[in-house]
Amino acid sequence: MMAMFEPAVDTTTPMAAAPGALENAHARVVLDDWERRWYGEPRFNYELVRSYEEAVFALREHGEGAKALAGGQSLVPLMNLRLLRPSALIDLNGIGASAPQLDGGRLWLSAMTRYSQVLVSELARFQTPLLTTAIAYVGNVRVRNRGTIGGALAHGQATSELAAVALALGGEILAYGPTGTRVIDAEEFFVGHLKTDLRPEEVVTGLRLEAAQPRQGSSFKELARRSGAEAIAGVAANITLSPERDVIGGVRLGLIGVDEHPVAGDRTVLSALVGRIPTPAEIDEVASQVTARTAPVTDSQSTASYRRRLVRVLIRRALTEALERAEERASAE
Amino acid sequence: MSDASLAAARPGEQIVVSEAPPVSVPPPGVAQPHSLGLETCEPQGTETRPNAVAPMRVVGQPVAHHDFIEKVKGSILYAADWKLPGMLYGRVVRATVSSARIVSIHTDKARALRGVAAVLTGEDVPSNQLLEKPSGGPGELRVAMPVLARDRVRFAGEPIALVAAETQQIADDAAELVQVDYEEMPGVFDPEAALLPGAPRVHDDGNVLVSWHIQRGDVQAALAAADVVVEGEYRTQHVEHAALETESGVGWIENDVVTLRVSTQIVEHATEIAEILKLPANKVRLIAAYMGGSFGSKEGMTVETYLALLVWKTRRPVRMIWSRQESILASTKGHPFVMRYRTGATNDGRIVAQDIDLIGDAGAYPNKSARVLFYGAALSCGPYLTPNLSVRSRAVFTNNVPTSAFRGFGARQVTLGYESQMDRLAETLGMDKAEVRRRNFLHKGDVIPTGETLDTAVAVGETLERALARLEEPSAPSGPSKRVGRGFACNMHPYGRTVWFKDSASAWLSIQADGTLLIRCGVTDVGGGQAASLCQIASEILGVPLERISVYIGDTALTPPAGGTFATRQLFMSGNAVMQAALKLRELVAPVAAEALGCPVAGVVFENGRVKAAGRSPSAGASAKGISLGELVSLCEARSVDPTTLYLFHPDADRRGSDAEPGQLISFPDYTYGTHAAEVEVDLETGEVEVLKYASCHDAGRAINPLRVEGQMQGGAMQGLGYALMEEIILDEGKIASSLLANYLVPTSDDMPDVMVDIVESGEGKGPMNARGLGEAVIGNVAPTIANAVADAIGFRPTQLPITPERVLALLEGADGTSASGSVSPVPSASSQ
Amino acid sequence: MSARQVTLQVNGVAHEISVTPDALLLDVLRDQLGMNDVRYGCGEGVCGTCTVLLDGEAVSGCLVYAVQVEFREITTLAGLLGEDESLHPLQEAFLRLGGTQCGFCTPGVILTAYSLAQRMPRPTREEIRYELGGSLCRCTGYAKIIDAVESYLDDRVLASEETRS
Repeated sequence: MMAMFEPAVDTTTPMAAAPGALENAHARVVLDDWERRWYGEPRFNYELVRSYEEAVFALREHGEGAKALAGGQSLVPLMNLRLLRPSALIDLNGIGASAPQLDGGRLWLSAMTRYSQVLVSELARFQTPLLTTAIAYVGNVRVRNRGTIGGALAHGQATSELAAVALALGGEILAYGPTGTRVIDAEEFFVGHLKTDLRPEEVVTGLRLEAAQPRQGSSFKELARRSGAEAIAGVAANITLSPERDVIGGVRLGLIGVDEHPVAGDRTVLSALVGRIPTPAEIDEVASQVTARTAPVTDSQSTASYRRRLVRVLIRRALTEALERAEERASAE
Repeated sequence: MSDASLAAARPGEQIVVSEAPPVSVPPPGVAQPHSLGLETCEPQGTETRPNAVAPMRVVGQPVAHHDFIEKVKGSILYAADWKLPGMLYGRVVRATVSSARIVSIHTDKARALRGVAAVLTGEDVPSNQLLEKPSGGPGELRVAMPVLARDRVRFAGEPIALVAAETQQIADDAAELVQVDYEEMPGVFDPEAALLPGAPRVHDDGNVLVSWHIQRGDVQAALAAADVVVEGEYRTQHVEHAALETESGVGWIENDVVTLRVSTQIVEHATEIAEILKLPANKVRLIAAYMGGSFGSKEGMTVETYLALLVWKTRRPVRMIWSRQESILASTKGHPFVMRYRTGATNDGRIVAQDIDLIGDAGAYPNKSARVLFYGAALSCGPYLTPNLSVRSRAVFTNNVPTSAFRGFGARQVTLGYESQMDRLAETLGMDKAEVRRRNFLHKGDVIPTGETLDTAVAVGETLERALARLEEPSAPSGPSKRVGRGFACNMHPYGRTVWFKDSASAWLSIQADGTLLIRCGVTDVGGGQAASLCQIASEILGVPLERISVYIGDTALTPPAGGTFATRQLFMSGNAVMQAALKLRELVAPVAAEALGCPVAGVVFENGRVKAAGRSPSAGASAKGISLGELVSLCEARSVDPTTLYLFHPDADRRGSDAEPGQLISFPDYTYGTHAAEVEVDLETGEVEVLKYASCHDAGRAINPLRVEGQMQGGAMQGLGYALMEEIILDEGKIASSLLANYLVPTSDDMPDVMVDIVESGEGKGPMNARGLGEAVIGNVAPTIANAVADAIGFRPTQLPITPERVLALLEGADGTSASGSVSPVPSASSQ
Repeated sequence: MSARQVTLQVNGVAHEISVTPDALLLDVLRDQLGMNDVRYGCGEGVCGTCTVLLDGEAVSGCLVYAVQVEFREITTLAGLLGEDESLHPLQEAFLRLGGTQCGFCTPGVILTAYSLAQRMPRPTREEIRYELGGSLCRCTGYAKIIDAVESYLDDRVLASEETRS
């Protein structure tokens, strides 16, 4: 949920002695004569870049320990907690964010677009209402003011609302690297715990989402233990009715909190809904089966078994609401 | 003065009242009738303060002044806002295992890091132990806690070494380079497991720190004869204070005195610090900065000893600020309790007996655990007449993080016990839940199980009516899978310290040459207006405008001792001390004024920075205007009258002495009573609980500052809602899994509705002007209020905190009746309140 | 690489200081510029006590490096005070209505409310709650904080109506 993290490292011992961690670092301390202040060797090298080309070049130059810095809402907390110690930060904030654009039935968001910019975008509200709804659940106002689309995608948190929406709206992540531009389907993008398909020197440059069509309805449902906290689980649902008949033509789900990374609802199971208007019982059955094909984890916030129960309910509710909305729009034609 | 003109008053604006005769205030500590002897006290009840009397000039006014002005400007200086030339930055190195022998500690790599000024371990501590003062409890073990662990680690996070360096980064780096070799030992992580024979011993002398027994009458016989016996088992969790300001302070050496400026509730710790350094007491000075919240987390020493050691060793200033995660990990927590109740009653709902067992997880070291479990025992029956009682209350060591003071201090936890039992009793008998309580409420004059007689008004009934009235019409569920329920809970909470500690507080007041007033008092300020209230009281009695009063607090070198800010004692103790000091000062200078004004001493009026003769009409000319306080001071000097007073306040200790019957204990000076009521909606499919309405009503005795009283009630309710619904320190083999603020969840503005508050003013408090302290009382009712409301909504009773969606679902799914230790019991569909 | 000169514009005043790139804005404002109204609460971006306005938008001072915000407009609570240190009407409302107790969260809360008030003429109580959802307070229970914000907004609406009429 909020741009937080499940660190892979033991967080219970922030001040633990870590053998070998810093034996070679900080051998030089500079005494600033003018101000009589001690500076340690800076924790990292820093470079501000103004284009994706520059970013990729800098990442390559600074090597393995370099990290791209976008909104900083996920990365910097990890650094403040000393859990992540990049040797270099490549600051992408010199790269401007273009306004969201509609192109060929898709909404395009540049990577450096802030969550807050999406929230106030009329275009986004109209073309991808699911996105606008989901972003209201992200973190708090400060996270939304700084956090970026690209940064959130690259971080790949299992509970990222943006990821859920990307999966539900046929998202395509645009990346740029030494070998040029790449388009990655959202369904291929999130591969593991805080792990995406991005290669080491690639950066996300944008996200494309299917724009709303007539005869389409969407819904976002999430449960967190508290406002602004990380989601226990969440669902983004998008249902399109067939062009001629009022039956389901297509349905997609983006799920968060159900695995180590965001996942799409199982297509095979969902295909059972195509060509029909399902009854509540049928929706529930599909929800149950989709849930059965996920692998929620137990952590400090919730057990796997509760997540399983919860996800089924949320899927059912999201599908029901998305269907209602699709039917409303269809009848309004 | 009309309410409208009061409401329009702006801060700092002097509210001028028409002349009033001198106030004769009764001796402190003795209950007084409502009128306080002020004939001009007009009843001025409002909707939220039904028994309010007309505010005095300043007391009873919602004035905002002193530190609050600095707080909205952002200019107030907290403990970390202090920088000295050459200052070093400190860091504590903490154990990463829960139970182990320390084989060796290697500090050479840390020391070698450039910029490191000192690395200290236990062998550098002259007297490496902290020993709590005895609580007076039966069988209390005397267990010392090392300042820095040398041979043995007993909890994950236990301090082992200290680092001071030129920058915080270097200090943190050095801390990581300290290497500790452990030989892990079996640990015990559950207090009930720690009670079993053969359990690993946290301390050599055993795992039970203390075992209190309070007895009255013959419980077994009464239970056997009772018409009904209701049983229940309840569990609460470890909670974290999460004050926004983490533990912090700065230390330095000044004139050969180790001087510490720390966020602390108790400056009297200075003597303990001196002992640890093996210095004479006059070589340590402790100054309390205004705290950014505390709630008990800063009652024991936090950074003090570490700062003192580093300062003393390096001879340089040192600053230490605990990181949030460190604070969550290693600072003391609120006790989890396991509570077992057997309540016997007659068929018409009267309690005849309570048989109670309390177990509190003390964690690895004593801290205040012995006292917390006493509070739990003493308040375990709540505000109900209990003819026969047996309560056993044990503080048990484990290898978990140590527990200590947390707002409510044991009396908070037991409310879940007794208020769940009351609802259960009502359900069993098919009685109205409010009626059952009314039949059992204590009254003034009753003897409570600890042996003392209640000698002030017991307004719990009135708080019940008001809180319930606030809920108004029931809300309809918002959907087919939702249920709405209502619940309420009454509580009783002491204020003032346990009587056998012979509490006292002193205050020193002086009028300066220009008529401004200085108050010096050792009180500390946790953010609830502890210091500002003293100004209001002094202003009322001496007529000095608030902006012409300065208050100096919490400095062992300069302020007369007032004891720490805990046990909801400050308004009662320091408030009374300031009040008496002000009265004495007035008595001292009034004769000088009388002579100058040519009126009897009884006719001297102090108001608006001047002294006047009462009853003089303006046409009497200059003499009607009186003289300024500054002029009075000159006159005093001419007559060798020193316009200063120092007053030492001892509360009226007219209670049973320590030679009471076996099992009968003297306890507290007085209590405050309150009721909360709530309406919740439960989502049957997800288990989510949403609070729709929440009301809090407490007896404040007299609200010195109604705005602040309301603030305490709303804040306490919110913190209680966190405790009831979402806050939980999750421990796994003694290691805290939820050490980030991102996953120790405290309520936000977006989580709860506004808390509706009502203040009852019985006028019989033992604080100054009949006030009662209620800073802790206001959190106690919340958890049972929510538990009762949820039970009403879903028909199953939550008995474990926090009431998470997961636990609610488990209750619903355990509907087939299979559950462990009575934690799930179907509730007959009783009427909602 | 070691320290570099940057210019930080805080409350309308340009400060030329020397920082290393790993210095957080929070630490630079406090330790180098002596601005104690920006505070450390968690380092995670959760609590809001380090809130500053960056070109009018609320951000966490603990999550941005000073080198990143050169030449941007940074506002701290002190920046709301009048010429003679007089209180901004929003601060007065907090004082009058009891919106502050221990005071530690107050700068972050007021700045966030101020930022909202700049964007919307009269947000609802729910909108205010939502905007303040990232500013933790452990003392007040939030009710009086929101009362204060609403009072300020209502006074402001009144004042603008008066100037128009």
